[in-house]
Amino acid sequence: MPARSRNAAMMAVVAAAVICAAGSLPIARTAAESPAANVSLRTPWGEPDLQGIWTVETDTPFQRSPKYANQEFFTEAQRAEFDRERAQLRGRDNRGERGSERDVAGAYNAVFGAMKRTGTRTSMIIDPPDGRIPPMTAAAQKIAAEDREFRLAMMRATQTCKLNQPGCAGGKYDPTPTPRRYEIPARYNVARMNRHDRPEDGALADRCLTPGLPEFGAGNGGGSFRRIVQTPGGIAIAYDVGQGQGWQRSIVMNGSPHLPASIRQWFGDSRGHWEGDTLVVDVTNFSPKTDYRGSRENLHLIERWRRTSPTTLEYIATIDDPTVWTRPWSVMQEFTRQDEEQNRIYYEPRCIEGNEGFPAMMKAARQEDREFAEGRGPDPITKDNASGYNEPDPLQQ
Amino acid sequence: MFVRFSGSVIAVAVAAAAVGALVSASVTQTLGQAGGARPPTILGKPNFSGIWQANNEANWDLTAHAALPGAVTQQGVYPFDYARVPAAPVLALGAAGAVPGSLGVVQDDGQIPYRPEALAIKKENAEHWIDRDPELKCYLPGIPRAMYMPYPFEITQSTNKIHIAYEFSNSARTIHLDKVEGPPDDTWMGHSVGQWDGDTLVVDVGNFNDRTWFDRAGDFHSDALHLEERFTLMTPDIIHYEVTIDDPKVFTRPWRIAMPIYRRVEPNMQLIEFRCNEFVEEFMYGGLRKEPLVKHWEGETISIDVTRKVPPGDKFYEWYR
Repeated sequence: MPARSRNAAMMAVVAAAVICAAGSLPIARTAAESPAANVSLRTPWGEPDLQGIWTVETDTPFQRSPKYANQEFFTEAQRAEFDRERAQLRGRDNRGERGSERDVAGAYNAVFGAMKRTGTRTSMIIDPPDGRIPPMTAAAQKIAAEDREFRLAMMRATQTCKLNQPGCAGGKYDPTPTPRRYEIPARYNVARMNRHDRPEDGALADRCLTPGLPEFGAGNGGGSFRRIVQTPGGIAIAYDVGQGQGWQRSIVMNGSPHLPASIRQWFGDSRGHWEGDTLVVDVTNFSPKTDYRGSRENLHLIERWRRTSPTTLEYIATIDDPTVWTRPWSVMQEFTRQDEEQNRIYYEPRCIEGNEGFPAMMKAARQEDREFAEGRGPDPITKDNASGYNEPDPLQQ
Repeated sequence: MFVRFSGSVIAVAVAAAAVGALVSASVTQTLGQAGGARPPTILGKPNFSGIWQANNEANWDLTAHAALPGAVTQQGVYPFDYARVPAAPVLALGAAGAVPGSLGVVQDDGQIPYRPEALAIKKENAEHWIDRDPELKCYLPGIPRAMYMPYPFEITQSTNKIHIAYEFSNSARTIHLDKVEGPPDDTWMGHSVGQWDGDTLVVDVGNFNDRTWFDRAGDFHSDALHLEERFTLMTPDIIHYEVTIDDPKVFTRPWRIAMPIYRRVEPNMQLIEFRCNEFVEEFMYGGLRKEPLVKHWEGETISIDVTRKVPPGDKFYEWYR
């Protein structure tokens, strides 16, 4: 999952969109198009028809819990139990100790996240067969560990570490502010850190720079939508991933090679072709500013899009980056076709146009700097302005 | 004199396009860009699919204007408007910071019929271009501006939807040929509903907010903006694009702009990302850095030291040695 936006102020800005997403769950299903008998699954020019607005109606564990090691599908009873447990979790007023930073921040809690009914599969990962992400290479593990260490150093003098809260997981409380507080990270920063000295300290999502591929339907936490429009020899995919963010993909279908390696893009370079009824898209040329679970400019995606029924679209992405994982792995998601009239708001991702939250974080940080310098406030590095407050979803383990 | 196209030229082009009445996989006419072979028609209607770009000065100013020494100017030696000189924001760019002249794209009398109070706002907008133009902040450009900004866009035409992806800022719009109701809120890019008038695609666009501009000259509109766009193929590689602009809060009557939009015929043409919200972070948030990158900020006032050092060998008289 890319960096998530959990910024209180930003939440307010996009409240309308979030409420819309949350409102459709789990109480009322989003209005899926009723299967019409006469829906043709081919375009008039004979290609498989993948067109429409597509979303995900259920929540499925990304990785398979060892608990279901030999079980590809949940039983009905297991799904019902998850639904019951998660429905209770959803409305919970999840706060920390009274008066703690987490108590106050808890004002923005689970109500801002979408939770859907539990899906049928025990994992979205279909390969390796155990449903788990394959081990990372030693080099990638080292990079990840160093990054974690840097971020935890920034947290160590906070109440979050003192109270041993989830935002400090893996770290230890130390009241002495870290000497690393002015360090520039070894790699381009993509995630929220406990420092807001400059825009580059912000999470990509906070900066309206959500990367995004591969996108399996979670978006920025509230679900996502993609609109596919086809023409003979061309395919456009427009994404809306929530938090006002989205992007356009034009799949190049003429068999030409990828862009030169010198051109790096946030959403890569997509080259597609048909294999029978499956649209196969090869995506490379990612920017080193993107980060999918540790994979950056070397990420190579092979996407397979296949219409499986009038209302369903199967999406399988094979994720390959030998610098990060010891083998390629594949994720499957089933998208559901959405009614146009029910999705009239998901036309226009807009983020920077109303991003009061991001400058507000820096403005607040400068205010704290001033107060500290004048002896009127604590050292800002002792305050947690980074960690999220959402309770873990029991489904994602 | 303004851009106009003869009706007979269009009629000839349309007749040629209408020859291929149905979509056929056997049509192999290559229009020479990513996507390869594209049939000239889809369900008997002209196929606008492909990558296009306007090639004019409309994004600088819709109306006729002489070239200007800079996108931002100041009074020089003389008090005359015609003798202004480039101002600090573009000074170091030399001729690259100047504005090309144009005969304008506004039809009929060439004037934008502002109400008097709106004209005062337009003039004020022009004076505060850097502070007010949404383009500089990388905001969604709106319609019609996205159609003639100096960036390509890609049309993907299907039977009931026509999707347009603009290179600028990942913006897009979907033209609904199947009459989807407008969104419950106003929008930057509008809500587009299309229908065919013979071989002309006529698009009705509404549901706008009042945030977008028409150009860099401060031309603006309100949330009452309503457009009727007309797309007609003049040749397989040129669209005659015409828009009737109506906004009774700002203008005394509807007015029209028109221009050709050209196909990007390069065989390897594709959109390259222009995700400019990253590019404008310093412009928008630089004042909130702990350590400023430019000279200094005072609140939202930026002071930039422009030091242009000419390296050895690049002094202008050295070029001729």
